Amino acid sequence: MTNVIRGKVHVLGDDINTDIHCSSKYHPGRDNAYVVQHAFEQLAPGFASRFGKGGVIVAGRNFGNNSSREQAVHVLRLMGVAGIVSVSFGRQFFRNCINNGLPVVECELAVKDGDEIEIDLAQGRVSVPAHKIVREVPPLPPAVQAILAAGGLIPFLKAHPDWKTA
Amino acid sequence: MGHTIAEKILGAHAGGKPARAGDIVVAAVDFAMLHDGRASNALKRIEQLGTQELPFAARTAFVADHYSPPPHPEAANIHRDMRAFAEKHGAVLYDVGDGICHQVLPEGGHFTCGDLVVGTDTHSTTYGAFNAFGTGVEGTDLSAVMLTGKLWFRVPETIRVDLAGRLQPGVWAKDLTLHMLGRLRAEGANYRAIEYAGPAVAAMEVDDRMTLSNHAAELGAKAALLEADAKTVAWLKARGAREPRPVTADADARYCERFAIDVAKLQPQVARKHHVDDVVGVEEARGQRINYALIGTCTNGRLDDMRQAAAILKGRRIAKGVRMIITPASRKVYLQAAREGLIEALTEAGASVEAAGCGTCVNVTGHLITGDGDVVITSANRNFKGRLGNANSEIFIGSSATVAASALTGFITDPRSVEGGEWRPAVKAA
Repeated sequence: MTNVIRGKVHVLGDDINTDIHCSSKYHPGRDNAYVVQHAFEQLAPGFASRFGKGGVIVAGRNFGNNSSREQAVHVLRLMGVAGIVSVSFGRQFFRNCINNGLPVVECELAVKDGDEIEIDLAQGRVSVPAHKIVREVPPLPPAVQAILAAGGLIPFLKAHPDWKTA
Repeated sequence: MGHTIAEKILGAHAGGKPARAGDIVVAAVDFAMLHDGRASNALKRIEQLGTQELPFAARTAFVADHYSPPPHPEAANIHRDMRAFAEKHGAVLYDVGDGICHQVLPEGGHFTCGDLVVGTDTHSTTYGAFNAFGTGVEGTDLSAVMLTGKLWFRVPETIRVDLAGRLQPGVWAKDLTLHMLGRLRAEGANYRAIEYAGPAVAAMEVDDRMTLSNHAAELGAKAALLEADAKTVAWLKARGAREPRPVTADADARYCERFAIDVAKLQPQVARKHHVDDVVGVEEARGQRINYALIGTCTNGRLDDMRQAAAILKGRRIAKGVRMIITPASRKVYLQAAREGLIEALTEAGASVEAAGCGTCVNVTGHLITGDGDVVITSANRNFKGRLGNANSEIFIGSSATVAASALTGFITDPRSVEGGEWRPAVKAA
């Protein structure tokens, strides 16, 4: 993972509970490869097939709300999601994203599907040139950046078993 | 500027001085819990760590409570793997029938006041009733703790709730948490900790305090912290917990929100079908026909719940056509309920008493499926559509007193209107 993410925007709304849309909770006995093909389909038919690797989800309030299942993030990674920008996140979902190396940024944006977005995690900046949007956001704390940079908590701890990054 | 309980506990575990809300800290965990609902993911994560040594295993409990009993070979295989893993690495094992994670951890004396406890379950907030920072995590978090004994945390802002007065007979901590849900709405405390304080908390017995901290999970709270008193300390010591190190909030602590509730004015509350935050006074739901009455879960499956139910139902008979199922929160609760004659009284009244576990909460065991149009009143924590295996049935939530009174009449009933519905635990000297 680099500190700068560039990709195409895929817009979703408020209160998207990923338990429903991208975990096997409602696809019992199905593996992630199957769930990926059907991710978000009740909400936005064809979302998963349109979603190109490296895309960025831009959503409203409480993205991943109630979704403490880590599998939802594994499915998003398999879909090729490079980052998520949302007004706010469900608490455990936010942790799960960091722990699985998926960058998350809290920011409200008025954008359209297909817009190019750039997220600079170290600087704390989100830009969407098509709408002349340049938004300063609080940069992620160094500890979180280090986990993301390693690709998630497990690879981070393999490299830094004492949690020390310096 | 002073500090909240959350800031003090997380700070003390991350090198010493109190932290500030918003800080990211790497903190040493005192005890961890993994239940069977998340074991499959967590054990895979631990495997990915590629290590044979898990120094923190001895301070991790594996609890088989959700698939209790296992409804299919996959669930039985998870239990088999948990047993083998616990044996190999020296983790503490609570097997099927031993009880629900949030009951067996405190009962087992595994943590004390001022501790930092993580569990793979949102209701890990329960440990806050004992002045411990208890919070829910997932498999990767748990694997990190088992390997390093540490985890990263964002220090939460805290909502302070000052509880004046005293709950009236027939009114329980559950009615207060339902009131909070109606006020803040579901997830209204997302990212945040809650501190409950005041004379109303002091007057509550430990069982009720556990409900208060437990049900904060539906508010989205990261932790729900109470200060410790003589009751807390005596309870923990009697169960062999380490010497309590109570942590108090400073008078000038910074809160993101602060309000007071006079609990003496509170009536029994009911959350109506499908939404935990669609909360009304019991009189507004009164008369709703019910088909199922359930008492149990980590929210309200404790001894005082059994005692209250028996106070209403002993020597009487539940309404014709109502199925009543009671699931004690742990084997210890079950045994004590048996000793006190509660199991006998409730069984004679027409209830079925099941082995301890999460059975009455969520339809993962498959043994509690409601019919189309059936209406359930439960002492559980959630009533999402389909939670009990049928989206065409309806689930209402109330206290165990309200559930027992409703079982008796066949309609949602104010417990204060039936004999025994104003039972209170005897006040014991601390």
